[in-house]
Amino acid sequence: MPLQAINTMAQNAVEPMQVDAPPEDNDNNEEESYVVENPSLDLEVYANSYTGLARLYRLIYIIDHCPSLRLEALKMAISYVMTTYNVNLYQVLHQKLAEVTTAISVPDVAASSTSQDIPSIDNLWMETRSKKAALKLEKLDNDLKNYKSNSIKESIRRGHDDLGDHYLDCGDLSNALKCYSRARDYCTSGKHVVNMCLNVIKVSVHLQNWSHVLSYISKAEGTPDFSEGQGKDANQIIITKLKCAAGLAELATKKYKSAAKHFLQANLDHCDFPELLSPNNVAMYGGFCALATFDRHELQKNVIFSSSFKLFLELEPQLRDIIFKFYESKYASCLKLLDEIRDNLLLDMYIAPHVNTLYTQIRNRALIQYFSPYLSADMHKMAEAFNRTVPALEDELMQLILEGQIQARIDSHNKILFAKDVDQRSTTFEKSLLMGKEYQRRTRMLILRAAVLKNKIHVKSPQRETTGNSGEITVAPGTSTAVSART
Amino acid sequence: MASALEQFVNNVRHLSTHGNFRELCEFLNKSNEVLLKNTQHLDNVLETLNVQQHSLGILAVLCAKFNAAGGGSTPDNRYTQVQEFIVGCNGEQIRFAPDSFSELCHLFTNYLVELKQPVRGIVLLQKAISKLRLYDSQLTSIHADLCQLCLLAKCFKPALEVLDIDITGVCQEIAHSPNGPQFDAKYFLLYYYYGGMIYLAVRNLDRALYFFEVAITTPAHAVSHIMLEAYKKYILVSLLLNGKVQPVPKYASQVVTRFMKPLSQPYHDLANAFTMNNTTELNNVLSKNTEVFTRDHNLGLVKQVSSVLYKKNIQRLTKTFLTLSLSDVASRVGLPSPSDAERHILSMIENRQIFATINQKDGMVVFRDEPDKFGGPEVLKGLEEQLTLCMELDKQILSMDEEIQVNPQYVKKSSGIQDEEQPSKSTYAM
Amino acid sequence: MVVNDINQLAEDLEKQELEAPNGIATPQVYEQLLAIYLYQNDLCNAKYLWKRIPPSVKTSTPQLGNIWAVAQNMWKRDFPAIYKALNAVTWSEPIAETMRQVQDAVRSRAVDLISQAYSSITLETVSAMTGLSQEICAPACIERGWLVEADTKMVHPVRLGREPAGQTSSEDQLYKLTDFVSFLEN
Repeated sequence: MPLQAINTMAQNAVEPMQVDAPPEDNDNNEEESYVVENPSLDLEVYANSYTGLARLYRLIYIIDHCPSLRLEALKMAISYVMTTYNVNLYQVLHQKLAEVTTAISVPDVAASSTSQDIPSIDNLWMETRSKKAALKLEKLDNDLKNYKSNSIKESIRRGHDDLGDHYLDCGDLSNALKCYSRARDYCTSGKHVVNMCLNVIKVSVHLQNWSHVLSYISKAEGTPDFSEGQGKDANQIIITKLKCAAGLAELATKKYKSAAKHFLQANLDHCDFPELLSPNNVAMYGGFCALATFDRHELQKNVIFSSSFKLFLELEPQLRDIIFKFYESKYASCLKLLDEIRDNLLLDMYIAPHVNTLYTQIRNRALIQYFSPYLSADMHKMAEAFNRTVPALEDELMQLILEGQIQARIDSHNKILFAKDVDQRSTTFEKSLLMGKEYQRRTRMLILRAAVLKNKIHVKSPQRETTGNSGEITVAPGTSTAVSART
Repeated sequence: MASALEQFVNNVRHLSTHGNFRELCEFLNKSNEVLLKNTQHLDNVLETLNVQQHSLGILAVLCAKFNAAGGGSTPDNRYTQVQEFIVGCNGEQIRFAPDSFSELCHLFTNYLVELKQPVRGIVLLQKAISKLRLYDSQLTSIHADLCQLCLLAKCFKPALEVLDIDITGVCQEIAHSPNGPQFDAKYFLLYYYYGGMIYLAVRNLDRALYFFEVAITTPAHAVSHIMLEAYKKYILVSLLLNGKVQPVPKYASQVVTRFMKPLSQPYHDLANAFTMNNTTELNNVLSKNTEVFTRDHNLGLVKQVSSVLYKKNIQRLTKTFLTLSLSDVASRVGLPSPSDAERHILSMIENRQIFATINQKDGMVVFRDEPDKFGGPEVLKGLEEQLTLCMELDKQILSMDEEIQVNPQYVKKSSGIQDEEQPSKSTYAM
Repeated sequence: MVVNDINQLAEDLEKQELEAPNGIATPQVYEQLLAIYLYQNDLCNAKYLWKRIPPSVKTSTPQLGNIWAVAQNMWKRDFPAIYKALNAVTWSEPIAETMRQVQDAVRSRAVDLISQAYSSITLETVSAMTGLSQEICAPACIERGWLVEADTKMVHPVRLGREPAGQTSSEDQLYKLTDFVSFLEN
């Protein structure tokens, strides 16, 4: 399975990509073993917003998690993979297709009509394609050798880049990464450096090597020419690309707040990054991370009143509604809308693993915000506002109180939540008494330790201890029964 | 009587009357063999010596009697002889031979343990300790013997009298070792291990934890089984007292982290389940490792840990709820029935662990804050007591500091490095 | 007997036990000490005393077992069983007085606990916890100022504030305060 292959790749990034690597039981598996039933996704539009491996990987994610879209996605993926040199992936997709079709056709004999538009595996294509790929590789290799013997820096750089592009087209990520990285030594301008960084970032994202992604982002941002800005538009595109990649890396490493900040800096007019993500993705990722981690003020300033991000939100009207409902404290409808788009989020390979966490955080934020102006709140009304039963709400609140996020206590009898004011005087007393006790304890220990060190008391290894009693290391038997015999 | 013994008696008398105790000690160390060869006549020797005047001589003879196989004489009169000796001996004299004196006490202790009459030695060892130590807070190796006897006799009050005094100095018993005066680490560890167990037995968890902590932070180059057992109990007591495992102090020897932690895996599993407040998981760990816990003689403690988890969970409830029905309490903490919950709550109220009122009419519990917390004269009194204790400790530290300041070795060293580093004025201030 | 006297007696008995020839004290010493531990609600020490009494003494003195039965029920906080165990036996002369005091102490602790822990409680439970019949309980409750609902047999106890501890003289406090301040300033 390609996805699992990616995961294994992430762990040993230098290995060549083994697309049909045996599925390994790594820790990501629990997140992947779900099935999405009712997505409202226009697959065609969705797929067309990406190019290259991004489109393939996203389709594969849907194939693995959504039975209802599986066949359609497979067909799209296969026809798209045939425009590349990625023969391995072609095989894998056909394997998946075979699994799906046998599963369908066994119970349903009449399905033969549909089988006509199901592509069958084309061995001839595979053979010629592999040959072509090998030929192209050889040509590019030779070119590069020529450039090197002529030592024309710019040509060598391009040669490496071309070779990297070709490897990427074949799906060989680690070789692509090597080639792109090698171009580094032949960069003659800041623009080249940035270009190299972008290439490396792109491959590293596919390899899910997030620390690599982040370090090349800062490398690109630190390039002198780039920061001065020549050719404004081109620069804006690059900035947005870097912000998006950074956001993605932060999201993947669960740093939601900084992910939100990065995505919010993207510019829609210059958002052109189909090799990794679409503007819609930027809106979703940024919007959700912001909702889960920003306080009310930050949300207002950086999301709702942000002229640039507003344009992104227009792309995802549902998300826009959610954020506005949240801001207007209409939690019930906000949470309802959230539930509606949950399925679509679960089909997005980058945000899906975080949906549960983000949703919980958004709920918690809503709960905290809801209660913040009150001294006491009726839990029945609160439960209504949050689409929850009262007992479920009680559990949620209990967790929040224990975590110290809400200063309140629950009157379970009358189902009322009471704000609790901290008794400063008592806590001060408590703290100082505790401190005193701790001081006494430590000081006593210190005095004793001084005596121990002064008398050179220490446990020596038993061999040298032969002069002493042989019972040195054994506790006298029977003595501990006194304790264990207690009820 | 053999002439060698006559010689012995004469020497003891002579040196004792002239107050030549140091010389006497040397002589006694050499005459051990003579005594062991003539065990059958030792009682006669004892008769010729006076408890007060010839304490050191009697000490040597008694040691020889215990070391001789079969007790030396029939009928066995060793108990009475030791009793007479410890009660009547001259403290000043025996402090010239602390090693022999404590050795006698160790032998005597083992003897009583074998006789299964530990209770008979308690008063005598108390007496012995008070004769050997120079001041109340000085540790002797007899302390460990006393604790052992008290544990075996299940009679703890006498041991507590000793244990409650914080040790500030150690009696240098092994005076003639090549590395200067010393104290056997074994007895140090045993004292703190047994002491911890005694505090556990009388439910003084705070002190018990302190004692186990001392045991596991003893400087060590090798794993001692006493330390390992202390470490296991340290984990359990830590859970009972603080609800989590208190981190081992940084100054503990590396041995602790490197060897003891892997050797106590079941205990760490237990602690993990406990800190996650997971009753089911805790019971799993318990049933999976029952054998280990039983073998370590810790099953009773482990069971206490598991019952404390209910209480801890109830305490968590008091932080979140104002009122809760008894049946909700039961289901939230995993107790079988509301009446079990009521029993737990009742006992926690009695022990002032929570503040709550039960309403039997509606089957509800109202959780309250601690009433009149920190109000009234008793708070002031408590504060005063604590302050006084802190001040006393501070004074002690200061005097220790002064002692170091005037120590010639320290002065020499510190003046040497004065250029680079100003030696801090109070080395021990915290 | 005044509390101090009892504590003194306990110390004497403990000493007698330790100094007993061959480590075995007389049954009377054990009996009295065990009873006193119960009175002091010192169940820990009671338990260890029971454990260290030699088996031969236990068999020859059945009354020790009877005292221990009371202790066990106290350990379990099973109030009805405590009263039952207390009243099942006619205690012999040296300890009869102490055992009567044990009963009083247990009862007064139960009453305290009820007033601390309950806002409403059935008369039945009160009766069980105090070992008194409901007919005696009801008036006793009213006497304490507790409200008793005759129809539902519900008792509403009143919580008592703890009485303040003894005052120290202001002169003494001033002295201590000076001490603290001079400590802090140096």
